[in-house]
Amino acid sequence: MAQLVGSLRKELADSLSSCKVLVVGAGGIGCELLKNLVLTGFKNIDVIDLDTIDVSNLNRQFLFQKKHVGKSKAQVAKESALQFCPSANITAYHDSIMNPDYNVEFFRQFMLVMNALDNRAARNHVNRMCLAADIPLVESGTAGYLGQVTVIKKGMTECYECQPKPAQKTFPGCTIRNTPSEPIHCIVWAKYLFNQLFGEEDADQEVSPDTADPEAAWNPEETAARATASEKDGDIRRVSTKEWARSTGYDPIKLFNKLFKDDIMYLLTMDKLWKKRKAPTPLDWQQLENSAHPQEESPTTSGLKDQQVLDVWGYCQLFQHSVESLRSQLQEKGEGSELVWDKDDPPAMDFVTAAANLRMNIFSMNMKSRFDVKSMAGNIIPAIATTNAVIAGLIVLEGLKILSGELDSCRTIFLNKCPNLRKKLLVPCILDKPSLNCYVCASKPEVTVKVNVQKTTVLSLQDKILKERFGMVAPDVQIEDGKGTILISSEEGETETNNNKFISDFGIRNGSRLQADDFLQDYTLLINVLHTEELERDVEFEVVGEAPDKAPPPQSNQEEVNSITNGNKDSAQPSTSSKAAADDDDIMIVDSDEERGAPSSSAAVTTSTKRKHPDSETSETSTKRPRTDQSAAAAATDDDNDDIIALD
Amino acid sequence: MIEKEDPVISEEEAAQYDRQIRLWGLDAQKRLRGSRVLLAGVGGLGAELAKNLILAGIKGLTLLDHEQVSEESCRAQFLVPVSAQGQNRAQASLERAQNLNPMVEVHADPDRVEDKPDDFFLQFDVVCLTGCSRDLMVRVDQLCSQHNIKVFCGDVYGYYGYMFCNLGQEHSYVEEKLKVVKPSPSSNDGPEAKKAKVDPNETTMVKKTASFCNLKEALEVDWTSEKAKANLKRTPVDYFLLHVLLKFRTDKGRDPDPKSCADDSQLLKQIRDDVLEAMGLSGDLLSDEFISYCFSEMSPVCAVVGGVLGQEVVKALSQRDTPHRNFFFFDGRKGNGVVDYFGPN
Repeated sequence: MAQLVGSLRKELADSLSSCKVLVVGAGGIGCELLKNLVLTGFKNIDVIDLDTIDVSNLNRQFLFQKKHVGKSKAQVAKESALQFCPSANITAYHDSIMNPDYNVEFFRQFMLVMNALDNRAARNHVNRMCLAADIPLVESGTAGYLGQVTVIKKGMTECYECQPKPAQKTFPGCTIRNTPSEPIHCIVWAKYLFNQLFGEEDADQEVSPDTADPEAAWNPEETAARATASEKDGDIRRVSTKEWARSTGYDPIKLFNKLFKDDIMYLLTMDKLWKKRKAPTPLDWQQLENSAHPQEESPTTSGLKDQQVLDVWGYCQLFQHSVESLRSQLQEKGEGSELVWDKDDPPAMDFVTAAANLRMNIFSMNMKSRFDVKSMAGNIIPAIATTNAVIAGLIVLEGLKILSGELDSCRTIFLNKCPNLRKKLLVPCILDKPSLNCYVCASKPEVTVKVNVQKTTVLSLQDKILKERFGMVAPDVQIEDGKGTILISSEEGETETNNNKFISDFGIRNGSRLQADDFLQDYTLLINVLHTEELERDVEFEVVGEAPDKAPPPQSNQEEVNSITNGNKDSAQPSTSSKAAADDDDIMIVDSDEERGAPSSSAAVTTSTKRKHPDSETSETSTKRPRTDQSAAAAATDDDNDDIIALD
Repeated sequence: MIEKEDPVISEEEAAQYDRQIRLWGLDAQKRLRGSRVLLAGVGGLGAELAKNLILAGIKGLTLLDHEQVSEESCRAQFLVPVSAQGQNRAQASLERAQNLNPMVEVHADPDRVEDKPDDFFLQFDVVCLTGCSRDLMVRVDQLCSQHNIKVFCGDVYGYYGYMFCNLGQEHSYVEEKLKVVKPSPSSNDGPEAKKAKVDPNETTMVKKTASFCNLKEALEVDWTSEKAKANLKRTPVDYFLLHVLLKFRTDKGRDPDPKSCADDSQLLKQIRDDVLEAMGLSGDLLSDEFISYCFSEMSPVCAVVGGVLGQEVVKALSQRDTPHRNFFFFDGRKGNGVVDYFGPN
């Protein structure tokens, strides 16, 4: 009989105490994972997280207490874990794993890397770093009651990016600007409005009526005569929304009347839009004020303020007060400053709650509580201690198999809400082989991208295609034109002058080939350019072989839900903040904890659409059976908001 | 059962519990807020369960354990400080348990669970038993089910773990269903209005009930009938493994110990043969492989079983969502987690 240390064979126990491992993320999964690792006998652990502790973490991130709010997650997690294993050697980094300091050499010092992330960007990056360093990676994610763990090993299994992930949901610009039909459209509009007024202006986040709406088939000049309201508007539009707002001194009532009366009256003149849908009803501040009942302090049901739905005048007042607070925030920050929307900043959240509800009222939708608006606007993925505990336990069990040299017995494991038809609550599935045409782990990664070369700028190639879509951090791009023209350099100052030029200005046309390199990720991608002039409105590019980005209806996502990996923060993000947001936390996948700044989104729905095969050992045939249990449905419900994102 | 004051969720609680209220709703959180739980056995699994329940925000948790802290008994126990060797395990766990959430009343009780009078158990809404003997579990389960108190049992043996629950003959709960919003007649023309929509925010609560049997019945299934034999193929062997491990505990007054690995392995083999024979089943049902993987409480397995068990307690207390009926078995080598029912139909 082998000698045992606890439950483990002595040889395995010895190797745990000598090997070094990396934990990426010290949030919901990370806290649980760190505890399991030290209790299992791991002694040398590096943990990295760029986030700080928030009060809403305390229901599950048990290494943190109220007194730690605002401190570094990695640092406090380390200190708490040392209390139950003082002999462990834990190194904490309060930093982003995407920082270039954590290069391939850094990754090579570990026997095993474990992701406890909540966003896709960081997951993609760690995936590439582990492939480049050839270090096994355990990937994980949770969203609500659902969770997933998988193992990635270069050349032997699929990598994190082998299966295309569904793109973030987006809404057409004209739905947001002209014809919202669901509360989320109004919430996205309100977040855009925040940025237009107080934040970084973004041409993709217009909030005023869209006169080019194809459905309107409408010529503004012809109808200008009957639109009395539009005259004023015409003036306004020559300056940006922000300049105009500033010129009024951010007068809440002037803002109100432009946004909720004049702009709506302008929309009404686009009469084709309202032939088949209910026309919006403009709001008038003065009228509402006159008809408001003064002491309407409703001694409502439960005491929680966030749960209440106010009346229209209540939202008018909330709009007024939040504009005033945001105006003074701007003033405090000084000339030319900008605010970044944050669901946890009360005036910013109040502003979006008020503006979204006023718009919902205008478009005849039922208004929503601040609590509900926050879920959608913040892409909040619900998160609980138990799911994270289960997933973190499974991560360590997979890690032990890897360290015992039993990679063959590693599995992808799904945690369901309810047992499946084969009675399984935890479903192990065999790991798939690497996809031969994966644009990341194939030996010579190559993709074909359809763009309009005359309308695509170098900057948008860099930010939207290379960074956002293909997960690069600091790309260098060379044109394979025989001269080796450098289009984009990651060295500061070398190619910035190219940014606003169109790629056709550099001779890029149909059939051109670009070589994009990310030095940090040790990753080279060959891009074949396919010129087209027929992309759908609001679509800048399309990767060939993939469906165009369209938001599927929630129902169709249900079966996929279990491939969670929660990416939470990821997808959501785009909605509003493509820029600022991205940093959410470091974490990725999984624990969907919360996101910060940017919306996170549900990882769940985010990930791969393909169902894995249930482990043959344990289950005979039932492969790919769609999930019918309610867990899937529930999950879809819970997080469906998250993946929303907007952006047109 | 104790009388409940109407629990009100404060703004402070709403902030701390925000991410779970978004999952299970305010009503469920209020029910949790008014519930008292007994946890007997504060080893590795007990610590996980305590953590999960305290974080969830129940009203009170009593940690009951007469054992002393030792290296082996606390290998997977993160609530006991390293300096507490020799102290009572419940008392040594109290401070860290309380720090997890100051809004929960946590108590430590160093008595033997066997010595507690019947009345003691009646002050709780849920009783959880880990590391207890089969006889004690059967006794407490019977007592509690007469008084409408929910009972959970669970243990971790190396890579293996299980949970049993008895929520009574008629456990009522609600489940959230998506509401299909019919297109409203007023806007019946628009292309978008035509399809019936499922608004993820529009749901209805459906009331349901589930029925449970006693632990005694669940453990005394008759395997000699033709029907039971026919079902054998679809029965997780983990159920029989549980019988073997409970018998070991009864016979030796402890669980398999890594320090006496060789002797205990021998004995496990013998008990396996005896247990299966007594049930009228073949010894082949459970191969020898389990023997080297069932020693000591393994931390990640405690995390998995404690997570599932903790969530089931939350579901039972909040009367929300379909409970797992009535066993959950986890095999940490395969990563397999099965829910199955054992008992009279």
